[in-house]
This record gives sequence, C-alpha cells and structure tokens, in this order.
Amino acid sequence: MAALDLEEQEQLAELKAWWNRYGNLVLTAFILIMLVFAGFNAWRYYQRSQAAAAFAIYDELQNVTAARDKAKSAELAGQLLERFPRTSFAPLAALMNAKVQLDAGDNKAAKAQLQWVVDSGKDDDLRNVARVRLAGMLLDEKMYDDALKLMDAAHPASFDALFLDRKGDILFAQGKNADARAAWQDAFLKADEKNNLRQVLTLKLELAGGSAPVVKARS
Amino acid sequence: MFEFIRTHQRLMQFLLLLIIVPAFAIGFGMQGWNPAGDPNAVAKVCGGTVSMQDFERAQQEYLQNMRQQLGANFRPEFFDNPEARGAILDRLVNQRALACAALKRNIVASDDLLRQNILHDKQFQIDGKFSNELYQGALANNGMSSSAYETLLRQQLAMQALSSGVLMTASSPQTVQALFARAQEEQREVQELVLKPELYTAQVKLAPDAAQKYYDANQKEFQVPPQLRAEYLVLSVDTLSASIAPDAAEVRKYYDQNQNRYGVPEERQARHILIPAAAGAPAAEIAAARTKAEGILTQLKADPNKFPQLAKEFSKDPGSAEKGGELDFAAHNGTFVKPFEDKLFALKQGEVSDLVQTDYGFHIIQLMAVKPSSVKPFEQVRAEIEADWKKQRAQKLYADSIDGFADIVYTQPDSLKPAADKYKLTVQSAPLFARGAPPKDLNNPNLLTKLFGDEAVKNKRNTEAVEVAPGMMVSARVAEYKPQSVRPFAEAQAGITAMLTQREARALAKKDGEAKLKAAKASPDFVGFGAARTLSRAKPEGTGQDGMRMIMGAPKDKLPAVVGGELAEGGYAIYRINKVSQPDKPDPALAASLKTTLERSQAESDFNAYLAALKLTAKIELHPENIEKKPAN
Repeated sequence: MAALDLEEQEQLAELKAWWNRYGNLVLTAFILIMLVFAGFNAWRYYQRSQAAAAFAIYDELQNVTAARDKAKSAELAGQLLERFPRTSFAPLAALMNAKVQLDAGDNKAAKAQLQWVVDSGKDDDLRNVARVRLAGMLLDEKMYDDALKLMDAAHPASFDALFLDRKGDILFAQGKNADARAAWQDAFLKADEKNNLRQVLTLKLELAGGSAPVVKARS
Repeated sequence: MFEFIRTHQRLMQFLLLLIIVPAFAIGFGMQGWNPAGDPNAVAKVCGGTVSMQDFERAQQEYLQNMRQQLGANFRPEFFDNPEARGAILDRLVNQRALACAALKRNIVASDDLLRQNILHDKQFQIDGKFSNELYQGALANNGMSSSAYETLLRQQLAMQALSSGVLMTASSPQTVQALFARAQEEQREVQELVLKPELYTAQVKLAPDAAQKYYDANQKEFQVPPQLRAEYLVLSVDTLSASIAPDAAEVRKYYDQNQNRYGVPEERQARHILIPAAAGAPAAEIAAARTKAEGILTQLKADPNKFPQLAKEFSKDPGSAEKGGELDFAAHNGTFVKPFEDKLFALKQGEVSDLVQTDYGFHIIQLMAVKPSSVKPFEQVRAEIEADWKKQRAQKLYADSIDGFADIVYTQPDSLKPAADKYKLTVQSAPLFARGAPPKDLNNPNLLTKLFGDEAVKNKRNTEAVEVAPGMMVSARVAEYKPQSVRPFAEAQAGITAMLTQREARALAKKDGEAKLKAAKASPDFVGFGAARTLSRAKPEGTGQDGMRMIMGAPKDKLPAVVGGELAEGGYAIYRINKVSQPDKPDPALAASLKTTLERSQAESDFNAYLAALKLTAKIELHPENIEKKPAN
C-alpha cells in the first residue's frame, strides 16, 4: 500500500510539474480555439442576418417587378445594392431591376445594373448570366467589339451554348456569316437536346444559309 | 393534393412550375435528410440522399399532376418506363440542388417574411383579409400541420427567390427579334408538285408470300402482352362507410354534443358613442376625452332615450354616428374589439354601459336588440349528421383495420372472401387488362408488379395489401390469366399487306420524284407544277414542316430555284421558288408575339444554364439503377 501511495504521489508530482510547465500554453491554445470558434459563429450570424434583411427588400422587389414599377424598382434595388452588396441577393436584385428598366425603355439604367453584376456581383453563375444579357444590349447598340469581348470570358461548360449563341448573333450582325454559322452550329451541339434553344438555333442557321448539324439521337 | 401550395406562387408561374412542382417531394429541410450510406438511395445531392421513398412520392405527385392536366388522355403506361422515371428523378435532383444552393447562399426566409407571405396569400383571404379558419381548413384538407406547411413554404420562398432572379428577368436582343420578324415574314412565291404514295399503289406488285415472310421475321411486333382478369378488395373510408348503419342513439348524441356546428350563435345589436383617444396619446388628451365621455354618460343615465340624439352630436365613429350610433347585428366572435364585445354581451336589453376603454378611445354602449342563438332542428340536419357520423366512424375503422386487413389477405391467401366478410366489403372484378392499361383502382406500380408476379399468377395467391393511394388499400388476385401470345397470321395478314404496299408505294414515289426533280432542275420548261402561291414562315398556307424547310432553306441568290425531297408523311415534293420578297409593312402583332416567344425561350435557356452550373457544385450522384431494381419479393 505504502509503495503504491508513493507511486501515486510521484505521478501526481509529475503531472503538477507538467502542468506548471505547459499549463499556460494549453490554456492559451484552448482560449484561442474558442475565440476562433466564437468568431466564426459571429461571422456566420452576421452573414445570415445581413441576408435576412436583404431578403425582405428582395421580396418586395419581386412584387414590384411583377407590377413593372420603374421608380420603385430602382429605389429598392439601389437600397439593396448599397446596403447589402456582398449578399447573394444583390446580383439577383440587379438582374431584376435591369429587366424592369429595360422594359421601361431605360437602356442606360439596365446596362448599369448588368454591368454591376459583371463587375461586383458575388456570384459567378449570375455574372455569366449578366454577361450574356449585357452582350445582347451592346449588340443592339452596335458595339460589337465590346459585346464579343464579354463573350470571351471564361465560363463553366453549362454556359457554352448561351455564350456561343450570343456570339453568333453578334458575328451575324457584323455580316460575318461563316463565323456566325460556326458559332451557332457549335452552340447547337452544346445545347441541351430538350431545350428549345435548339429550335431557335435551327432557324438562325437557316437564315445564315446553313443548317443544323445532324445529331445522333442518344440511345 | 397540395394544390394550394402550387397556386401560391406569385410571379408568372408556368416556367417555375416546370422546375419546382412537385414541391412536397423535396423533403423537410436539410437536417432531415438521411445521412449518406443508404445503399438503396436513388441519388445523392449536397451530401443528402434521395431515398426510394422520396422518389416514389415524387412519382405519385407527378402522375397525379399529369392525370389532372391530361384528363381522359392520361395514359399511365407512357410514364412506366426508365426514361420517364429518369425524368422524374432529374426534377427531384434539380429541386434538391436548388434548395441546397439557396441554403449555401444564406437565402432563408425569416419568420417574419414567412408570416407576411401567409397573411398576404389570396387563397387564405376572405374579402381581402386573412382568415385563420380558411388557412387551417386548407391545411387540414391536405393533411398537413402548420409547421410542416411553414417548412415547405420556407423552402419554396428560398427556391423561388433564387430562380426568379434569372427566370423572370430574361430579355432577348432587339437585333435578334428583328431578324426573326424578317424571317417570319419573308415571302416566297412557290409552285409545287407533290407525288403522293397513293398514286403508285396500283403499280405495287408484292410477292405472294411477302406478308407471311414479314410475319415470320417480325414476330415481336405481333406479340400480345400478358393479360389478366382480377378480383380485388378496396379498403377505404368510402367502402367501409357503405356497411356502417347509422345508430339512431349515437346520431342523436352526436347532434347534442355538437350543437355549435348546427346552431346559429346569438347576435346582438348595439348603439354606441365613441369619444376617440388613441392608445398611446398624451395622458392629458386621454383625460380630456374621459371627462367628455363621462359628461355624456351622466346625461344618458338620466335619460337613456336621448342616446340617438347624443350619438349624432358627439360620437366620432364615422359609420354609426349618422345613424344615431346604431351598429349591425354581430355575434360574439371578434367582430368588434374584445373589451367592447365583452361588454355588449354582458348588457341587458336597453341597458346603457359604463365607459368602455379600447385602443380607439372611450365607448358608451347601449344594447338595442338580441337575436337569441338558435339550433337547426334535429330532423333538418339528420342526413348531414348521419353522413358526418358515418364518415367519422369509417375513418376510425379504416385506421383500425389496415393491419388486420393486410394480415387476413396474407394469411388466407387463397380467397378474398374472409377479408371481405370480416370488413363487410364487396369483392370487385376488373375485366381483362394488360399491365400497361390497368383499371383505375389497380393503377399502382407496386400493386401491378405483385399482381403480374409469380406468386399471384402461378400460385393464385392474393397480393399483399398495397396502399394504392392515400387512404386506399387494395388487395387483388388473379381470376384468369392469359399469358403473352402472338396474334395469328390470318388475323394480322390484311394489316401487313396494307403496310407493305404503302412502303413499296413510297419507294416508287421517291424514285419517280428524284427523276422529276432532275428534269425540273435541268429545264425551265418542265411541266407539272401547280399554280404559283406565296408563302411565308408565319403563313405556310398548309405546307408541312418538311416542305417549308425545303422552300425556305433554298438559296435565294439564283432564281428560280428548284428543290425537292421526301416528306415525312410519305411522298415526294418538288418546289420551284420564283420570287423572294419582304412585305412593305411588318405586322406589329407578329412582332409582339415574337418578343414574348423569344424572351420565354431565352429565359428557359438562361435558367437551364444557371441550374446546370449550380448543379456542378452540388456533388450529385445518380443511381437510376436503384429505381429499376425489382422489389426484393
């Protein structure tokens, strides 16, 4: 018994010594980890509360869009972009407002919104959507080079058909029929077979003096 | 089912519907998803699995949806193949990916937003005001708790927010619209020569054994799928209530206990005077109002008959002051604010109340008239109660019977009679049908698999009880089975001969057409063309798709141009295009409809590309093979 006690006391002493040496380090590390964790949570909380506030404005914007209220739409989108530019709602709101402005005939305002999404939107997929739309507006203003430049941006494969389709539109407007045909044919091959983009492309190709590529039906 | 969820969405919904409905199949929030590792999962999205049950629910929703849309044209067999199932799986995965993307982007509707959306939902409103009764009723009709509906709506709002930003905002460049408008209106003056196969049928000479040879070589085409005649039992609230005889005493008791359902509550009519003092107004203002009201009250206590006169003079209630303070009859159900109503229903006839303070100010109330509550006499509502009572009994009976029913049909597999006797059901029979065209009651993939399986066909056993639709269990057995057979040659011969003749005639038309095309190209004097007509894409004047493609696709730099080719419906067409022109005035209606069409098409393309990009980050795995796997038994 006594020997065991001795042994236990020895272990206890060792532990104490270890704690004296490393205790502060352990505590500091622990506190640091907790702080990082708390910080992370605070950051998430902040993000969510920002998003929730942005959602409220966006919800209103959705209603306004249905009513095509140009002034109110611009006001709400402006508010959202200014206060919550880093939320996912900002580029969505910009796209919404761009559509309302375009339908109301204010091309300049519409372009500015699309340009905002391309330059500052925090969502790569929406930026690609905005690129295609902006290129369409530039096409209407005969700014072919700027429009083509937008269509050269890197994008995931799922956007290939959209980009190529628009590229063909621009080239065709420039009178480059053969290039337009090539782009449209490429777009046709990349388009989803269930998508009616293919029908649109078929007509475009016919107009450019070509025809839709023959695609083997998937078995 | 869940109709009311579908109609909820606000914006132009037809496109959203494509993607979001059926919404119920999405599942309840990310946390509720099964963890990974389910070997029977049909797909994995964002770390959650799509189970076979999820899929079946989605499939049922989808079929129900299609049945509603197509009505009598609905053919379940069109949807009973791997492609159709794959398409349903795709939709399900799309929904999950969208829901997951929304969550990742912190797109989560707050409680407040959720409440706003429910309160402003037109289908829960009466006269533009939210009605809780209507809301609860709609939930009950769909067998949903309010928290389940809220979860669902929350998810839907998020998905809608994410998708509407792309789907509702597409536009199409004016340059493209103009291009299409010109193309639609471009006019071509055409002469045509169509060689129909019928012109050549007389020349067709088939070998005497041609039909037999075809029959022998293509046996598959003449197969008749297995058919069977079935007997079955339906256990449902409806079938059960048929056998329940209403118990007079019970019905009476039900009537007595549920008087409020058959009664009209008491209604009271009041006069009142309002001296306004809004809640939260300065204390001095409230005190002044009180003094004024007390003054009026003293006069009234002295002479209650002066009420109308004083109301006209002092009351600030816009509706009633003119009428001497008179209000409409109302029940004690929240028509007025609570303190007001409580007081009104505590008064005696003619009595004038003390001051009643509400958020509007001070009221003095006089009770003018009482319509006592009344109850419809028993005989008048008896039929209604009996139906209610029967339904209630049947619902309980149904819930209590499910297990027993399943047990009996399983333990006594040689007849449906024991189960029919026990639950007082009638054995129904379905005339001969193939698996692809089942009668309505048996139209459930699971039940059909069992009914056409060995246990039912060879061993003549009852199928297990299957829930073919919510609240409807069916067990069936095979009464007669006709195995797969081949139509005899004698029966098929006429059809084969006609088909072969048509085929030959087409070949002859093509050969002749090609020769004529060559001749027409070579000589401007070629005879045989019809009169010149002017066509455009917008107005094809009866020319079919193939013909239009040849005519409009012909180069216009060297006219007249001659083109020709086979038509899909059979025959050979040759066209001579003499003139190409553009109309002087474009048609504005056409331009407008083109704009809509092109925008819609662009919206779909934009959204598809966007959704596909979202799916790239959703870690999707598809296991359609798990859907096609035969059930274990």
